[in-house]
Amino acid sequence: MATTSLQSLRQTFLHRHHRQPFATIYNHETKLTFLFKPSKSTTKYVLFSNLSSSSLATTPTSTTAATTSTTPSLDLLERHLSTQDYRQADEVTRRLLIDLAGEAAQKRGYVFFSEVQFISSDDLRAIDQLWRTYSQDRFGYSVQKRLWEKSRKDFTRFFIRVGWMKKLDTEIEQYNYRSFPDEFVWELKDDTPEGHLPLTNALRGTQLLQCILTHPAFDEAEAGEESDEEVSEESVPKGVEKGNERKKLLEYKPNYSF
Amino acid sequence: MSSLVSTPFTLPCSKKLDQLTLLHTFLPRRSGRVARPISIQCAAVMGNGLFTQTKPEVRRIVPEPNGSMGLPRVKVVYVVLEAQYQSSLSAAVQALNADRKYAGFEVVGYLVEELRDEETYKTFCKDLEDANIFIGSLIFVEELALKVKAAVEKERDRMDAVLVFPSMPEVMRLNKLGSFSMSQLGQSKSPFFQLFKRKKQSAGFAESMLKLVRTLPKVLKYLPSDKAQDARLYILSLQFWLGGSPDNLQNFLKMISGSYVPALKGTKIDYADPVLYLDSGIWHPLAPMMYEDVKEYLNWYGTRKDLNEKAKSANAPVIGLVLQRSHIVTGDDAHYVAVIMELEARGAKVIPLFAGGLDFSGPTERYLRDPVTGKPFVHAVVSLTGFALVGGPARQDHPRAIEALRKLDVPYIVALPLVFQTTEEWLISTLGLHPIQVALQVALPELDGGMEPIVFSGRDPRTGKSHALHKRVEQLCTRAIKWAELKRKTKTEKKLAITVFSFPPDKGNVGTAAYLNVFSSIYSVLKDLKRDGYNVEGLPDSAEALIEDVIHDKEAKFNSPNLNVAYRMGVREYQALTPYAQLLEENWGKPPGNLNSDGEHLLVYGKQYGNVFIGVQPTFGYEGDPMRLLFSKSASPHHGFAAYYSFVEKIFGADAVLHFGTHGSLEFMPGKQVGMSDVCYPDSLIGNIPNIYYYAANNPSEATVAKRRSYANTISYLTPPAENAGLYKGLKQLAELISSYQSLKDTGRGPQIVSSIISTARQCNLDKDVNLPEEGVELSAEERDLVVGKVYAKIMEIESRLLPCGLHVIGEPPSALEAVATLVNIAALDRPEDGIYSLPSILAATVGRNIEDVYRGSDKGILADVELLRQITEASRGAITAFVNRTTNSKGQVVDVSNKLTSILGFGMSEPWVQYLSSTKFIRADREKLRTLFEFLGECLKLVVADNELGSLKLALQGSYVEPGPGGDPIRNPKVLPTGKNIHALDPQAIPTTAALQSAKVVVDRLVERQKVENGGKYPETIALVLWGTDNIKTYGESLAQVLWMIGVRPVADTFGRVNRVEPVSLEELGRPRIDVVVNCSGVFRDLFINQMNLLDRAVKMVAELDEPEELNFVRKHAQQQAQELGVPLREAATRVFSNASGSYSSNVNLAVENSSWNDEKQLQDMYLSRKSFAFDCDAPGAGMMEKRKVFEMALSTADATFQNLDSSEISLTDVSHYFDSDPTNLVQSLRKDGKKPSAYIADTTTANAQVRTLSETVRLDARTKLLNPKWYEGMMSSGYEGVREIEKRLTNTVGWSATSGQVDNWVYEEANTTFIEDEQMRKRLMETNPNSFRKLVQTFLEASGRGYWETSEENLERLRELYSEVEDKIEGIER
Repeated sequence: MATTSLQSLRQTFLHRHHRQPFATIYNHETKLTFLFKPSKSTTKYVLFSNLSSSSLATTPTSTTAATTSTTPSLDLLERHLSTQDYRQADEVTRRLLIDLAGEAAQKRGYVFFSEVQFISSDDLRAIDQLWRTYSQDRFGYSVQKRLWEKSRKDFTRFFIRVGWMKKLDTEIEQYNYRSFPDEFVWELKDDTPEGHLPLTNALRGTQLLQCILTHPAFDEAEAGEESDEEVSEESVPKGVEKGNERKKLLEYKPNYSF
Repeated sequence: MSSLVSTPFTLPCSKKLDQLTLLHTFLPRRSGRVARPISIQCAAVMGNGLFTQTKPEVRRIVPEPNGSMGLPRVKVVYVVLEAQYQSSLSAAVQALNADRKYAGFEVVGYLVEELRDEETYKTFCKDLEDANIFIGSLIFVEELALKVKAAVEKERDRMDAVLVFPSMPEVMRLNKLGSFSMSQLGQSKSPFFQLFKRKKQSAGFAESMLKLVRTLPKVLKYLPSDKAQDARLYILSLQFWLGGSPDNLQNFLKMISGSYVPALKGTKIDYADPVLYLDSGIWHPLAPMMYEDVKEYLNWYGTRKDLNEKAKSANAPVIGLVLQRSHIVTGDDAHYVAVIMELEARGAKVIPLFAGGLDFSGPTERYLRDPVTGKPFVHAVVSLTGFALVGGPARQDHPRAIEALRKLDVPYIVALPLVFQTTEEWLISTLGLHPIQVALQVALPELDGGMEPIVFSGRDPRTGKSHALHKRVEQLCTRAIKWAELKRKTKTEKKLAITVFSFPPDKGNVGTAAYLNVFSSIYSVLKDLKRDGYNVEGLPDSAEALIEDVIHDKEAKFNSPNLNVAYRMGVREYQALTPYAQLLEENWGKPPGNLNSDGEHLLVYGKQYGNVFIGVQPTFGYEGDPMRLLFSKSASPHHGFAAYYSFVEKIFGADAVLHFGTHGSLEFMPGKQVGMSDVCYPDSLIGNIPNIYYYAANNPSEATVAKRRSYANTISYLTPPAENAGLYKGLKQLAELISSYQSLKDTGRGPQIVSSIISTARQCNLDKDVNLPEEGVELSAEERDLVVGKVYAKIMEIESRLLPCGLHVIGEPPSALEAVATLVNIAALDRPEDGIYSLPSILAATVGRNIEDVYRGSDKGILADVELLRQITEASRGAITAFVNRTTNSKGQVVDVSNKLTSILGFGMSEPWVQYLSSTKFIRADREKLRTLFEFLGECLKLVVADNELGSLKLALQGSYVEPGPGGDPIRNPKVLPTGKNIHALDPQAIPTTAALQSAKVVVDRLVERQKVENGGKYPETIALVLWGTDNIKTYGESLAQVLWMIGVRPVADTFGRVNRVEPVSLEELGRPRIDVVVNCSGVFRDLFINQMNLLDRAVKMVAELDEPEELNFVRKHAQQQAQELGVPLREAATRVFSNASGSYSSNVNLAVENSSWNDEKQLQDMYLSRKSFAFDCDAPGAGMMEKRKVFEMALSTADATFQNLDSSEISLTDVSHYFDSDPTNLVQSLRKDGKKPSAYIADTTTANAQVRTLSETVRLDARTKLLNPKWYEGMMSSGYEGVREIEKRLTNTVGWSATSGQVDNWVYEEANTTFIEDEQMRKRLMETNPNSFRKLVQTFLEASGRGYWETSEENLERLRELYSEVEDKIEGIER
């Protein structure tokens, strides 16, 4: 009966067991961590069986397990985005973020707000760029940043605006967090709220999201970038544009996967 | 927020219910489910009407059929309080099933609270039928514990193993592991027996249990091996469970099923030993390990690369966090991480400590205080557990918690995670937090001095996991940092906003607070702060000048309609600073509106001196559009109100706000009762400012509302020292006549004196109180004695009545001599629990009498007894005065009571009280008993004159811990003293106590007897009565117990002394019919004691369902009639417990009367009905307060009597507007079919000799001892400005009584007019001192006459009219 550190406990916990897909709101980063070691075939297997026996049955996706167990990368993100699989793209994005935040974050399974500063601007911008590209500029961090600022940097207003909170049927106007993933919109429709994706939930408060939105990556004049992208998106075939982006990223940090 | 109840969708419930349930569970619809039809308006009620709608199905895991082929099945059923176990257990079971090795595990879990639902309970019982293993943990709610017990007991023998971790003994006894059993728990000498002894335990038994776990292995070797094995496995189980991780739980299940499930007996199942974690330590999400040493932790903190230097600097505020270990080991820690991130992002350092047991006091001291210097490492502590510091949900030890916190000496905040509800359930509930959680996690931490019950985390319905509520986390963290800043900042830089009230809104009322001379107190506070180093530049040199500054200059009382404007806020600025401004538009239109506005700007009234701002809190705003608002269930604050707090927080930049005196409007703004959300007004208004609140020590209930809804650190102040009312004018004459009668009655002058007595008594209007014989009628000697005795008793009653004289000034404690009357009354009560006999009983015993008999005799007017009682009273006063004289110095200050006492006690003969008594007939009083009593009185005296009010304020301002203390009546409970404590209420589940029930019986019996006498020998069928929060706190639930006794039930306490159950008293024992009741709970009672409302409702329904004859059970009789008439089930008709809608308070009849804004009594009655007809239903408690006006009216229409309690001498009928505000006497008359006026009674339990008087007797007594008593009004006049207002208030409240009950005699107004208006000198003084209040006084006289409550001469009225225009001109500035 040895006394071990809580951290090591949590690590094992996360890697081996924390796989029940909490079919709700906020848990997704945590449950993802174990996926970082896809080499263990047993893990994969367990995951699969659990998925089918749990409440995730209500989730419409069926390919979840197979795809998410792949290493997250910009490539993968792009693959999902280009096929309009926003659900998967969303997951990959969060995993990327965890990955970019460093080893400690990977072990922990979520990003601590103060780790965001260690993510390079290029990386964040690359992710953002992909989202914007494949959403006609409706999704992405920089889109969210603009909306957040428009919301007077009030997160409740922002959450309502991007459709992460839903109105409750009470006399006084009140909102509750939307339940993940069922209550989110995973397609780009006309009525999909601008900035709806990618999701950074409020499970651990809003400091992480705030750090992303105020990251130097998104400091530059929005307008210029925005218009650039708009132009490129409309005129340049998607594959090409994206290829460039990725190249740039790879040059900067070639060993991106883990 | 407050008004979900009104959402008028009347549900065809059955259909909708299932849909709602489905939304939650995502499970196929169960066919057998029949929803209870709810025919009443049920608004936002969800599902089954209970607090939580979650279902165990989200916790059910069934092994895959093909996966576990051929493997034995093991079924586990668990019931827990802690939802955090859900994800961990599910993970463990899923892993086991995935292994497909030994068995297929089926598991299903229940959260304790879910078992309230009948359907769920049935499922639970069914689940148990084929269960192998049962696990329970932290089952501390008696009702539910009994349900668990009943269900598990049936299956216990059959089941393979039953494991119950810390819970109520009833449930613990179910434990069974092979030969190991706890069924003998509490009866045998089993090692566990010690845990449940009822003696005062320091740490609570959960803690002892942990200790046992550590020591038991040593004991085990002395047990026979098989027994030892079973016991060992139990211990291991507990360790696994407390270890909480999926790994541990997996091994736990392996161990138990391998050892006890027969199907697995042959299989060898390996399991690892429990992985143990630190019992307590420091945890940080980024840290590589947990720390047992705070220095190591801080070292690591210093090496963090993710933080900049500023965040790590020595100047950063440091916040200590208290966490529950189970959340960390089970990985359910997101809400903790959120708080840590929020604090760090805002520049604070954190020391998050955790502990596994229920006693956090040790870890708090160990990790937050430097062992060498004793200094705290932190500037503030925030507990995120929601529990009391010591004892969790089990048995608390507040003194120990206070001791630990006192040593730490920093602000202590206890925030709340949602435990019994999901996020959405809390959001939509008008009650807010689940009442049981309020009892466990709000009321109990308050007894430790915990502040700010902010709900910071929600619970997800499906995973049971906690998650941050981002805005709440922000609110909590910014507030915590602000408190910490108080510890860090220097005095010179600190900014303080003192807020005074103006209520009712009138210039004459600026600075109102019960019993407090506000401006003199502020002045005294500011002088003291200045001395102490605060920047109070420009403070004028007198309190008078301070008033002038704030309400402009002295002439401004006459010339200017406005107060001093401190700030003009433009509309845009207002909107930018006030995020919720838009929400106010629904009620008040676009800003700026008419209130606190000049049409363009919002005006903030007040005056700034250096870093201190004195501001006037805007009013509710009823004066703007009174009728609409007074009728509405709730309104919102107006723009001016919001602007005031925006100014204080964001423009003035207050480090703290000091609300000055009892009480303001902020905390009564709409919102949830407890557990505010983002849209609750009190929370939005107070914003981020630490709130310090001076509150009258005798008003713990409203102080508690301020504490919970506006996050106040409530610092108590003393009510003015009480004095005996004394006698004056005709009454004094009467006393002299009676005295001469006693000496001369046998000389033949008797009859002559008696006739003088009778005529003088008539002049004094005593004819309504005493049956006086006609003049000229011959009386026998006996009859004469009786008449004189009765008048005498009445006179003595008036004379000895206690009244607070003048107004209290903070920092000026009473002198010892001023404390005498209070001590006399303290001495008049027996305190059997402390072995103290009352002075009157000791004295009565010396003449061979029992004091109770003397009281009875005196009440009856037996002359000898009245005289004896007078002598006893006189001797008591004399003895105590002699004692006080001896302990004080020449300046009248108490010097060193204890030393004096010791020297006094050293020499028997020189005891001052003995010396005094030796000159009276009580010379032979029992010395021992006297000595015990006077030792106690010496302690009390020290406390009465202690001066902690300024000291505690300074402590709060410098971010120190302010010791908590109960609020209440210092006479009943001297622990209320010394003042200057952070006042709290009591454990709401602790009432009513057995003692309270005893006193209640006396009052109820007297009430019923009196009513029988006055009602032709018939028992009253229904009594309409009022329950007050403060009253029930002071008396430990006497009035609550009265209701129970009327309907004939008694409370039953559980092992922890908590009252959650009632049982009927048999009709034989009761000896009379069960009397029906209509209970009107004050809004504050509802907030504080919703569990007790629940209990009452259950009691009423239980009684209505008793199979008893109608003529012996009026509850049943009426309920049956009403059920038939309304076409509803009996249980629903048996609705008798009413109050306001959630988040709304009072009937507003008082406001209407104070504003003179009502047309006729009918309108007041409508107001009462529309605001007070909300009922609490024990069958659908989650629905909160529901409007049930029909039943309310029907129940009231059966009332034969109305009834209220007076609980303390300082607050009587005309002192406050609450009493008439809740009086339904005239209303009942208008509802009754026969139009008969019900009798109206007031019980007076302020003295040892409890009385039941009629309302009119009490009104007369009140008028005689206060409004008309020179001692009282001169005392008030000496407080100046505020004193005039107090006089006016008494008259206005008297009119209120006329309006609601019609029980005020004409002579009361007539005499008042003589005293205050006819007397030219008096009226001049009043007009000079406070013309605004004087105008209101004159107006009230005219109103009393205009409404027909006062018939008087045209001459009187003419004078009043002239006076009115005179004072009006003066105020308007027109000189004549």
